Amino acid sequence: MSEQLTPLHGNHACALGAIAAGCRFFGGYPITPSSEIAERMSRELPKVGGVFIQMEDEIASMAAIIGASMGGTRSMTATSGPGFSLMQENLGYAAIAEVPCVIINVMRGGPSTGMPTRPAQGDILQARWGTHGDHPIIVLTPASVQEVYDETIRAFELAEKLRVPVVVMYDQIIAHLLEGVKMRDADAPLVERKWAGSEADYKPFATGDDLVPAMARPGDGHRVHTTGLTHNEAGFPTQHPETVDRVTRRLLDKLDRHRAEIEKFEAVDTDDADILVVTFGISARAARRAVRIARAEGIKAGLFRPLTMWPFPEEALRAAAKGAKAVLVPEMNAGQLSWQLERVLRDGTPIVSQGKIDGQPITPDEIVARLREIRGS
Amino acid sequence: MNEVATVAGAETGPFEIRDYLRLELMPHFMCPGCGHGIALRALLWAVHELGIEKDKLAVVSGIGCSGRVGAYIDANTFHTTHGRPLAFATGLKLARPDLTVVVISGDGDSLAIGGNHLIHACRRNLDMTLLMLNNEVYGMTGGQVSPTTSEHRLTTTTPTGNVEPVFDACRLAAASGASFVGREVTLQAPALKNLVKKAIAHNGFSFVEVMSDCTEIYGRKNDLGESPEMILSQKADMRPEAFGNVADQPFRPHRLATGVFAELDRPEYGAVYRAQPAFRKG
Amino acid sequence: MTADTSLDEPAEATREASRADRPTNILIVGVGGQGVIMISKVLALLSQMHGAEVKQSEVHGMAKRGGVVFSHVRYGKKVWSPTIAKGEADVLIALEWAEGLRWLDFLRPGTGVFVSDTRKIVPPFACRNRKFGADRAYAKETPAEIVSRVGNGYVLDATGAAEDLGNTRAANTVLLGALSTTLEFPAEEWENVIDQFVPKGTQEVNREAFRYGRDWVEKARRDPAFGLSDANAYEAPVLLPGEVDVELEINETWCKGCDICVKLCPERCLALSEKHKATLKNPAACTGCRVCEWLCPDFAIRVKRTAAAEAAE
Repeated sequence: MSEQLTPLHGNHACALGAIAAGCRFFGGYPITPSSEIAERMSRELPKVGGVFIQMEDEIASMAAIIGASMGGTRSMTATSGPGFSLMQENLGYAAIAEVPCVIINVMRGGPSTGMPTRPAQGDILQARWGTHGDHPIIVLTPASVQEVYDETIRAFELAEKLRVPVVVMYDQIIAHLLEGVKMRDADAPLVERKWAGSEADYKPFATGDDLVPAMARPGDGHRVHTTGLTHNEAGFPTQHPETVDRVTRRLLDKLDRHRAEIEKFEAVDTDDADILVVTFGISARAARRAVRIARAEGIKAGLFRPLTMWPFPEEALRAAAKGAKAVLVPEMNAGQLSWQLERVLRDGTPIVSQGKIDGQPITPDEIVARLREIRGS
Repeated sequence: MNEVATVAGAETGPFEIRDYLRLELMPHFMCPGCGHGIALRALLWAVHELGIEKDKLAVVSGIGCSGRVGAYIDANTFHTTHGRPLAFATGLKLARPDLTVVVISGDGDSLAIGGNHLIHACRRNLDMTLLMLNNEVYGMTGGQVSPTTSEHRLTTTTPTGNVEPVFDACRLAAASGASFVGREVTLQAPALKNLVKKAIAHNGFSFVEVMSDCTEIYGRKNDLGESPEMILSQKADMRPEAFGNVADQPFRPHRLATGVFAELDRPEYGAVYRAQPAFRKG
Repeated sequence: MTADTSLDEPAEATREASRADRPTNILIVGVGGQGVIMISKVLALLSQMHGAEVKQSEVHGMAKRGGVVFSHVRYGKKVWSPTIAKGEADVLIALEWAEGLRWLDFLRPGTGVFVSDTRKIVPPFACRNRKFGADRAYAKETPAEIVSRVGNGYVLDATGAAEDLGNTRAANTVLLGALSTTLEFPAEEWENVIDQFVPKGTQEVNREAFRYGRDWVEKARRDPAFGLSDANAYEAPVLLPGEVDVELEINETWCKGCDICVKLCPERCLALSEKHKATLKNPAACTGCRVCEWLCPDFAIRVKRTAAAEAAE
């Protein structure tokens, strides 16, 4: 195994991670600051016998990757804010039809066209609830180029294993950051989707204890119907209340059942922390340094950083926040994560939101200043 | 390249539609006299005569009455989102060139919400067939105006009559570069079957417009009679005439031409993509 | 005739014309789309290449509708009239059997050569009774009768031969092959000229078709029995009205009573029951045409025919 690091931009690391994870189809539409992913994929995919296509818009891109995945190919798209908004309808389709796929959202300032070349972290609630109705989704939030590479691979593994759309979200800074990346071995084993066998009584949406149905590959003889309508275990539309409740709850329970392998987080100095800093992505890099500075000043600060944003690692956060007298949430939005923490930490611990929405990254000094303020109060 | 099992003169035996239906779902949900059923029969008949294996047939549909048609076919069927079936099918066909991909869509699905996907699918020329069932109305949602609703016709959103010009879908498809374009009425069922057959066998993007009838909603609202009368009047409106210059007549004239309007030998997208030097086969 | 032509074959059709120093008259008949005009063009070019004057006259107005198409080709030292008078055609070449018979009296008595496809295209108006398999008003004369009536007759299943070669549309070239044995032009010239008039990519199959036609005539000349071997190969059995067995299977669960089959049945033999389901009220009138089956949006009707009836189709 090579320990050598390859210098890569975040977006290139994402593309190479996807290739390493077995991605063989990319459908996308150019949008700053994600376009380098599409550009790299257009060069890499033919080399491995995969297909790249630039679709007519993000709606079509999302549809195309679902189509490819239904055909049995690992597939991905990449976009940013406005494009992510356009993908929401078909994201819901992937969720209900349980089609594995990976969506990269390189966040930029919003709303609307916002600031295409400036970073932001304002899509975390959209990523969870952007498409209508109750649905399962996994959202991963890497904070370094290495993590972009690794989490993109993990996104494919989770998507394939659990038959769920997985969103990988980072921001413009990480996208264009050059860092050394330890690449995976080319012959590393891939996680395979659970495929239907030749069973005579096969039902496309019936599951065992793992709540993940085996997927029929077109051409394997099962001739299955796939629909975005609420469907029974046989795959056909239904409005029968008991069936609808059963199949929809199974869809939501599916991720709960696998929480342990989905959830990923980093906890630094949380055991004795008076003030817990909770943040993710690029802001977590500033927070990590801020915590060190604060500790040197005698402020007992700790850092909790979710790498899995959804489903949120709730138990882990509660454990990390156990002794904390306050929680500080620096994030590049107007308080989306802190809003979420208010739901998770219902023990009265004060939650201080440090939302920044000026298109500039949060600096360690800014976080240290807030930590000092909190200690003073 | 498409490996449709279309051996010339293949002996496929007499056509029995029950062999191609999901019998457990029959009778289907369509209203009495809905032309979509006739179109579905023509499609399955064509599939049978082409000798396409059901396992290798993928039917992708959108939303609306047309979108629900696919579910009755005993094949790999994908009921996708409104207006997007062509985009889904694009991904599916590129990932699985071994499948014969047929998209069933409606006039609203193809021309309004899915208009962008339609023109680009025509331009790209990926090997698949779009069957656009044109009943001139949004039937599933209760009869609203569509891009093909004839002028002056009443719908629930044109209470005093439609004032918008009518898309000529075949001209749109031809102008966008579809390498096979044709139109037929349901009354001419064997001709429709033959048209669909040609379209599926064509290597490239095929656009087939089927003039269907919506009796329950559109026909009733506009006093067009029951389905037999509607089907016959469609025929009376048809003229197997020259297609003419697209630019001469961007909107649909009262008299519709039927037949094959374009049959071009253009490079097929998937084959071109896979032929690039960098592409690793196998 | 021009003196420099090589008479590599009997050239039976032109022998007499040559002797009398008058133009050779060839009448080509068929229905739309079969290639009558193509044969005329080949003949015209060939004879021009040999220094002859050519006049050609045609009717092809109904070509697309399967209507009658005919073409007169006259070539020789000097040609005045562009049309051939009754009884003066040296060759009558028919791409459809009944069309051949229709023009038979244009053939020169005694010496005229009749070249015809034995396949029949039965027009709808030839059916006096729409009952499936019922008797038709189509020419009853057998190929053997016709051959015995003309100077020389070559009746072959050109369409079937072309089908076997892989392209039905080459049937006219099969007949050209047969025709070529009766005229004075050398085989390779025929082939070169045909090459120019057939669509790109079909040259090979047309050459094969041409040679098939030539070989067929040579065999027929040696063996008269072979000459009649194609005569009845494709004669459809004719069933009388009483012998036709058609059954309509109507699935009441699927039928939604939309009335399409009732109103669009050409014989009006269906009706809706009190329960608004399709029923066959007049089975004797049913011709088994399948229109109801094709147009039923609910797939509720299945037309079943007996084995004999299916064979007739």
